[in-house]
Amino acid sequence: MKNRRRNTLFFIILAGTALCSVTLAGGLLYEGAAAADFAQKNLPPCPAHPFGTDWMGRDMLRRTLAGLSLSVRVGGLTAAVSAAAALVLGGAAAAFGGWVDALISWITDLVMGIPHILLIILISIACGRGLWGVTIGVALSHWTSLARLIRGEVLQLKGAPYLQLARRLGVSRGRLVKNHLLLHLMPQFLTGLILQFPHAILHEASVTFLGFGLSPEQPAIGIILAESMGYLTTGRWWLALFPGLSLVGAVMLFALAGERLRLLLSPATAQD
Amino acid sequence: MTPRAAPSRLNREVSMKKTLFLLFALSLLAGCQHRPVGTFSPDPGTSKPLTVVLPTTAEPAAGFDPAFGWGAGEHVHEPLIQSTLTVTNADLTIGYDLADSMEVSGDGLTWTVKIRDDVKFTDGEPLTAEDVAFTYNTVKAASSVSDFTMLDYAEAADGTTVLFHMTRPFSIWPYTMAITGILPEHSYDPASYGANPIGSGRYILQQWDRGQQVILEANPAYYGAQPRMEQVTILFMEEDAAFLAVQAGQADLAYTSAAYSDQGVNGFSLLSVRTVDNRGINIALADGSPLDAPAVRAAINRGIDRQAMIDHVLNGYGTPAYSVCDELPWYNPVSEVAYDPEGSRAVLNGKGISLTVHYPAGDSVRQGLAAELANQLGELGIEADIKGVGWDTAYDDARYNPLIWGWGTHTPMELYNLHHSGPTQYVLYSSKAVDAYMDQALACTDLEESYALWQQAQEEIARDVPWVWLVNVDHLYWVRGGLHVAEQKLHPHGHGWSIVNNVDQWSWE
Repeated sequence: MKNRRRNTLFFIILAGTALCSVTLAGGLLYEGAAAADFAQKNLPPCPAHPFGTDWMGRDMLRRTLAGLSLSVRVGGLTAAVSAAAALVLGGAAAAFGGWVDALISWITDLVMGIPHILLIILISIACGRGLWGVTIGVALSHWTSLARLIRGEVLQLKGAPYLQLARRLGVSRGRLVKNHLLLHLMPQFLTGLILQFPHAILHEASVTFLGFGLSPEQPAIGIILAESMGYLTTGRWWLALFPGLSLVGAVMLFALAGERLRLLLSPATAQD
Repeated sequence: MTPRAAPSRLNREVSMKKTLFLLFALSLLAGCQHRPVGTFSPDPGTSKPLTVVLPTTAEPAAGFDPAFGWGAGEHVHEPLIQSTLTVTNADLTIGYDLADSMEVSGDGLTWTVKIRDDVKFTDGEPLTAEDVAFTYNTVKAASSVSDFTMLDYAEAADGTTVLFHMTRPFSIWPYTMAITGILPEHSYDPASYGANPIGSGRYILQQWDRGQQVILEANPAYYGAQPRMEQVTILFMEEDAAFLAVQAGQADLAYTSAAYSDQGVNGFSLLSVRTVDNRGINIALADGSPLDAPAVRAAINRGIDRQAMIDHVLNGYGTPAYSVCDELPWYNPVSEVAYDPEGSRAVLNGKGISLTVHYPAGDSVRQGLAAELANQLGELGIEADIKGVGWDTAYDDARYNPLIWGWGTHTPMELYNLHHSGPTQYVLYSSKAVDAYMDQALACTDLEESYALWQQAQEEIARDVPWVWLVNVDHLYWVRGGLHVAEQKLHPHGHGWSIVNNVDQWSWE
């Protein structure tokens, strides 16, 4: 496929634009998203309210955008924290070996051994719930798989002939890491980073859906979906459909972008 | 309400529901079969059985044992399976069930109650004054839900006379007697009674499938008018499941809420029952609050458009509330205020008051009321926003922020609990005059007289406005055509067993 580069670029730009515009729109609409207007309640989708309104007359488009922007921000922060933690811990484990490696691997296994959703709920409650509770919970639970990947990769690279050779030739340690190690890690790192996004978004939505995160007047996709459950039997399909589709759309976008980036950056498939 | 236990249970149940929903979705994927909720099929020849759907929260966790809260507590109702000494009439005055007469001594410390002698438990044993005394001493010792600290001990003077020795005068004792089902002394075992209750009431517990249904059958040896409904099946369901059950024709009567009121179901009509199930906010807050002035609080009270609130949030199914006890015998109409937005704005505008109205997260009606209240306060010149809170923090927060509460019960004791500066306090309010009137009301030896004293207390309260009452929420039910539901007394807080208080008088056309 000769246009994979363009294709991938297109997806990444699309995802980036969507990310920025949703965050921006959500930030701008945040105030209005919670405003109740009982004169406009239970309206099906119409030009003035493309996503309809709910039982308190809140505009579902605004709520959805504000909710998605929260998800995207949580996703972004999670990805950043996870990536940094993974790089430092994975790198350290592989580079130092011995007891450092044992300790870091043990912590990784420990965190991985607890189901994500449980860990997020625990951390979120311990941090006093609310926006920060959820954000910290999601951010602190997603670094493990990337850390493992980086550790494995660094371990493998340490034994690679070209690195051994470079060291024998007297290349300094700093340059070795910067020019040879980090550059080589880039594909895995970037792909892992982008693929954190859909995970984090889904987990944020799950926790708010279960009611452990934000209070119900705050816009979050999970809260919107949980609320809509009560109205499905009365035929208010728009309350679940559009926010649900938006969530699926956001998750798919990042998953596809990440997947394409992986294919492009991985040496085995880059030339396909 | 006994709010400490119940609402947090509600919150848990909401999250529980969602978890169950997820699990249910998984079980569908795995190909599991959900066990259908069966309706009892009657023997041919008996009268048509009745199926009623109540909320899952109405299922008594400790079973049908009055010593562990059956009939009493936050959501008072008649115990059905057991008899009580007194009953509350349709107008919430006191009538007799087992009792033939009652009188109180001049110092208010001894109640003498004569009971009828023709009553038998459903196991054939006669019900005597011994059983009554045993019941009250047992209930006091268990002290699970109701407050029995005013009772010292009960004793049987003879087979039909019970003496209640009180620790302090308690004029509204007949209201306590109306919710205390009488236990059989000869066979009572606290471990098993809840699941296998023996009583002398209108119905016998035939079957109880926990988490699913209760089947009641008319007591053939009942001493009063024979129940007209031979068999009553109570199903416990979530609101959406209850609606689906009605649509499928599996129930004859099912509870519902305003959110469903605009739906039509073939063959069913919507029954709206008036209540004292009120919602209101506490606005006497900790010192330093901008609301620390009766004039400001009174202005807020006058500036609330309660009818708009009812139309917006309750789809019209409610009545304006002005006290915790609207329309009850001890209610004083002086609590009522006329809607006066201009006068209110004149007091409040420009004061720069800002408030955060708290509401229990997971209660959509209270969330809607909070949002509507915030909108209305905004028009009065108060900057208000809303915040959902859990019951774990709500009580402490309510010292500094108004919280949307729900109350309403069939005894003046609630008025006392919400306004007396004594130990049970939900609002930072104390008034010597109010305390004095209410203490006098309790010390009174005549119930009628005590009503007047409760009303005088409300006159003082109306001047101080420690609470702003918003609405009484109507209780809504889907009723199958042809089912005649007997007239209901004002329902208390809690959308549960109250509707079947008089199920024995319902009939099929």
